[in-house]
Amino acid sequence: MDKEFEYYKILGVTSQATPDEIKAAYTSLCRQIPPEKQDKTTNPDYARLVTAYEVLSNPERRATYDSLLVETRSLELVNLQVRASRDRIKVSDTEQIIYLLVDISPATQETKQRPLNLSLVLDRSTSMQGSRLSHMKTAVELIVNKLTKADTLSIVSFSDRAEVVVPSGKVENPTAVVGQLRSVQASGGTEIFHGLQAGLKELGKADLAKYTNHLILLTDGHTYGDAEQCLALAQRVAGHNIGISAFGLGTEWNDQFLDELVAPSGGQSNFIEQPNEIIEHLQKCIQGLGTLYAQNLAIKTDIHKKVSVKYGFKLEPFSQPLALDKETLHLGNLEGRAPLSALLELKIAPHDVETRINIPIELVADIPGPQLSQQTFKHTFCLYVLSELSKEMPPDDIVEAVRVMNMYRMNEKVWQEVEAGHLDAATTRMQHLSTRLLEAGQTALAQQAQQEMARISNAGTMSLAGRKKLKYGTRALINRAKPDKEHHD
Amino acid sequence: MIKCSDCGASQEEGALFCSECGGFLLVEEGENTAVLPFSEFADRPPPPPLTEEALTPADKPKEILLVVPSSRRRFKLVVQDKLLIGRASSDLVPEIDLTDDEGAEKGVSRLHAKIQIVQEGIMLIDLNSTNGTLLNNYRLSPNEPYPLSSGDEIRFGDLLVHLFLNTSSSD
Repeated sequence: MDKEFEYYKILGVTSQATPDEIKAAYTSLCRQIPPEKQDKTTNPDYARLVTAYEVLSNPERRATYDSLLVETRSLELVNLQVRASRDRIKVSDTEQIIYLLVDISPATQETKQRPLNLSLVLDRSTSMQGSRLSHMKTAVELIVNKLTKADTLSIVSFSDRAEVVVPSGKVENPTAVVGQLRSVQASGGTEIFHGLQAGLKELGKADLAKYTNHLILLTDGHTYGDAEQCLALAQRVAGHNIGISAFGLGTEWNDQFLDELVAPSGGQSNFIEQPNEIIEHLQKCIQGLGTLYAQNLAIKTDIHKKVSVKYGFKLEPFSQPLALDKETLHLGNLEGRAPLSALLELKIAPHDVETRINIPIELVADIPGPQLSQQTFKHTFCLYVLSELSKEMPPDDIVEAVRVMNMYRMNEKVWQEVEAGHLDAATTRMQHLSTRLLEAGQTALAQQAQQEMARISNAGTMSLAGRKKLKYGTRALINRAKPDKEHHD
Repeated sequence: MIKCSDCGASQEEGALFCSECGGFLLVEEGENTAVLPFSEFADRPPPPPLTEEALTPADKPKEILLVVPSSRRRFKLVVQDKLLIGRASSDLVPEIDLTDDEGAEKGVSRLHAKIQIVQEGIMLIDLNSTNGTLLNNYRLSPNEPYPLSSGDEIRFGDLLVHLFLNTSSSD
């Protein structure tokens, strides 16, 4: 920024200075200038001082200046781009919807590779016996061999209790780690809380500030009676720079639970249908962790008294519905190589006169390299409320993203309707979903939807496999809806 | 509030896809008429049209039957004066609405043709449609009346329709 406009620096105060401090700073600086030199036309230093004081002593002008500062700084660290399905809406006495596509990418291409502090929490309950356990071991072996000397690894296995297989530490000898892993035998039930707790404890042995800290949970079953404890724990650690990703293997696990478990840290939850897919999923997850640019990204949802965020969905680098709490939408981490994009559905309260609504999109993030935590980046989106509107089509990529997000939500709604016993509504919706999937060229998913529709109308329920295939299948479509630019180059 | 054109559900203004059926909410009303490539045999010279002045309105209604073989639909109608053929749009629903017979895909215009009863008989008039009207494989000039007789084969765009007249009520 131009020196001329660094008002806080000119007055020698911080941006958090109170009005009294600003006044005191100004008065003392003025005293240092002889009275005969206190002339704005002949003394540029004095002129700058007066201007700085005029701006910062006026609450309104100071607020404007502050927001300008934030936007300027945001350009230096993070590229924040906001596009909307439309930027003008009609004067209306009913609520209206707009969609925002928020693209976040690192401002510089050079990202410092931070060492990884990784904890693998692996289910070893009886049901893991056989190919699940053996594929899991192979996947972990591959990961162990990929870690660098700077990385820290711990491995925890759990059934109805947890054991630390490999305690937290640098991987000096991969062969030894693999040997310890081979000794893991399948037996017992599934109590995720014990595993989670042990894994987090191992992560905590390293200096969290120096690492990218991540816990990967791999399970194939419902957890027994400790779901609430797990979620509370995930909530607590999210503020401590620990990310959680969770993978469900087979069909007998609780997808809603895993979604909620990863939500506070903005992590990933996914469905691994076949044991031989474990390797691919885990590797993808680890790759992203290696090149973190920013952590704990969150968008403030309390944006405007007449605008509320109704739904959030992460499109890139992986598709994931976002947890929406009262104040924030947790986006997780910004990877160095891939941009992060999220689709937001906003509800606009009725407006009965023409106006302009300034919607501030505020992103909070920790940038680990320069040690900047809780940085705020701002983008103001202007929405015009007009009485006359010409018909305009929203940008194609927004339409496509909303199309698949809508299919995902239709499937979620079917499940809610089935659970509530509204089987007719569920059957009809599933029929519609099947048609839409077919239109989108997703024959396999459309057929799955057909089968589930028959099951709902005949037996009043969906199959566990079908439910997961449709849920994660429609989710994956969202990821594909945005063309991958790298592949076209 | 806007209405989903596929399922009729009420949706909030600005929504892009129907939350109930997944239909796209920003479609233009009705589908656009497809422009079809026509085969050469259809371009044989038509019989001379009758001039409109020569036609005097009929005082008796006529009963006609139109059969659409592709969709197995039958329209049995009593024609008083005239009836319109096409596809329903927001401002006009023709008496013979071919929307459900794949009208749009087969090149039927929203306002495609009309059938008119006159003293001289029953007339078919193409209303300057996108893909034209064929009567027994003769392409009709737009806006000119051509006499119809029972058993005629009519193509609106690429949609084949058979016409039958009920002679018993025509007197």
